[in-house]
Amino acid sequence: MSGMRAPTTARAPSRAPSRTRAALAAAVPPFAVIVACILAWQGAVWVFRPGEYLLPSPMQVAEEAWDSRATLARAAWLTGLGAAGGFAIAACAGVIAGSVLAASRFLMRGLYPIATLLQMVPLVAIAPLLVVWCGYGWRTSVASAAIVSVFPVLASTLDGMRGTDRGLVELFGTLRAGRVQRWWKLELPWALPSIVTGLRVAAGLSVIGAIVGEFVGAFAGDASPVGIVILSALRENRTELVFAAVLTAAVVGFALFGLVSALGWVALRRWHASGG
Amino acid sequence: MSVLQRLAESCGIPGAVASVRGVAAAVAATVAMTLLAACGETGDAAKPSAPAGAAPAPRAVRLQLNWMPEPEFGGIYAAQQDGLFAREGLAVEVIAGSAGTPTAQMTASGQVEFGIVGGDQVLTLREKGGDLVGLFAIFRTSPMGVMVRADAPWTSLKELWASDATVAMEAGLPFVRYLNQRYPGGKVRIVPTGTGLAAFEQGTVQAQQCFISAEPVQMELKGIPVRVFSLAEGGYDPYTVTVATGAAFLAKDRDACAAFVRALREGWSRYLAEPAKYNPAIAKLNPGMTLAAMDVAARKQHDLVAPPGTGANEVGMMERARWEALARQLVELGTLKAVPPVIDDVFWNAP
Repeated sequence: MSGMRAPTTARAPSRAPSRTRAALAAAVPPFAVIVACILAWQGAVWVFRPGEYLLPSPMQVAEEAWDSRATLARAAWLTGLGAAGGFAIAACAGVIAGSVLAASRFLMRGLYPIATLLQMVPLVAIAPLLVVWCGYGWRTSVASAAIVSVFPVLASTLDGMRGTDRGLVELFGTLRAGRVQRWWKLELPWALPSIVTGLRVAAGLSVIGAIVGEFVGAFAGDASPVGIVILSALRENRTELVFAAVLTAAVVGFALFGLVSALGWVALRRWHASGG
Repeated sequence: MSVLQRLAESCGIPGAVASVRGVAAAVAATVAMTLLAACGETGDAAKPSAPAGAAPAPRAVRLQLNWMPEPEFGGIYAAQQDGLFAREGLAVEVIAGSAGTPTAQMTASGQVEFGIVGGDQVLTLREKGGDLVGLFAIFRTSPMGVMVRADAPWTSLKELWASDATVAMEAGLPFVRYLNQRYPGGKVRIVPTGTGLAAFEQGTVQAQQCFISAEPVQMELKGIPVRVFSLAEGGYDPYTVTVATGAAFLAKDRDACAAFVRALREGWSRYLAEPAKYNPAIAKLNPGMTLAAMDVAARKQHDLVAPPGTGANEVGMMERARWEALARQLVELGTLKAVPPVIDDVFWNAP
């Protein structure tokens, strides 16, 4: 046993630096780009002096974000909940609808063009109707987030399932697998990488959808979501708070995107290149 | 008009689409203005050069409205229709707005020469480096109010604010802070106005911010009687609809500003005397408001624009004390850090 352990122990030190290097290689480029953007932004403010009401400096935005941290934290939480709720509905509905369409060429030809309407219809145009239908509060934000993020999941599920290896489908037929068995054990796993890609896209969109819903249907007050914070700040000429709120929305989007990516990695890492 | 706009209006929410788009447009416009400003674009209107000996070409200027064409801008359209701007040597392009149009920023940055802004915006933007100057206050008494159905149980703003009613109001308006401060412990729930009047008609919201001369008129023409609580009577009376310009433009072209205000004064005098003459042209620009509603609105707003006893030359004139009072109120509300040291810099009554 000790003879078998030795090589493992010997390999460990060399693996750690390699992982560190890989992590650094992944983190440095985006970090460098972010720093470069902030410097360019600050430089533009110094050179052009556009006025705080048009373009506040990164420092002013940071100061405002710090001063309004409690407001922004509550806003992030409320918007995150709305986006996550809409995303969850979109994920379930998208996978189910994609699977149903993939199961029948007739259904796909009949319903897919209608499903694309979800992507074509500008959300801002139907958002007021959502308030009429769903009422004020979280329901409108969730509905708005779900509508805007369902199509990428549906399309990616459909594409993934339609690409299932024909040989394997025939093998399942030969083995007399039922329709549900084939879906669960072959088509769904086969489509999973594609579905995860769709979910990543949907995660970001769901935050946009939630905020558009908030623009028309959220309650304002001590605890307001990001959409209301943006509206208020625009009216009060607090451009630095608008920027801070938009950055907060981006953080919420990144968090959802990261969560989905992590779940995708867990689901795919053992058997698919995209999860490696 | 898009299918969706028609659908929205068939559901009774005129202006709702425009309103939400307005928010998106406001964000987009802010970004666009930022980029333009960063690139050094000042957006000065073209100054056409006249050949030697010819009559000078009219000075081209733009006026950005913060809402759709309605009787609240009646004097502007009257001045345009009757050639009063042209008589003053101005070629004025009136640009319609919508909810969220960032007129204050557009005017301060020079994207347009003149803009319709709230008096509070003049003060708050100046504190952020956007040097706006008020030139002409369309309403001497603020037309802002909160409307409720005629059979609603509340008899005052105080009672309304103590209730658990849902009130549709534009987020960030100073008077929301004012009401919260004046009636502390209020239980009302504030929601955006993005659905237009649909939610009020439906009863989903029980009270809605309004212009005394606009939304209540539309409701009454639809057979929904309403009552209005005036904010001016409630103690908050800013110059709600103010024509403003940038301090730089005023310094550079004071004559053009004076000419513009003279034409406005004359235009408003004519509109107040005979609104029915000008409303059809305004109605053509805004299919969302009927001609009948415009005629009623014009009558209702008359005394708010020119209270009895106002002389023709006094229309649009602003008072130092009113600006000072507004500044003090905004400081108390936490919207403004300090009263401007020289209040006379905030406005200019053209001779």
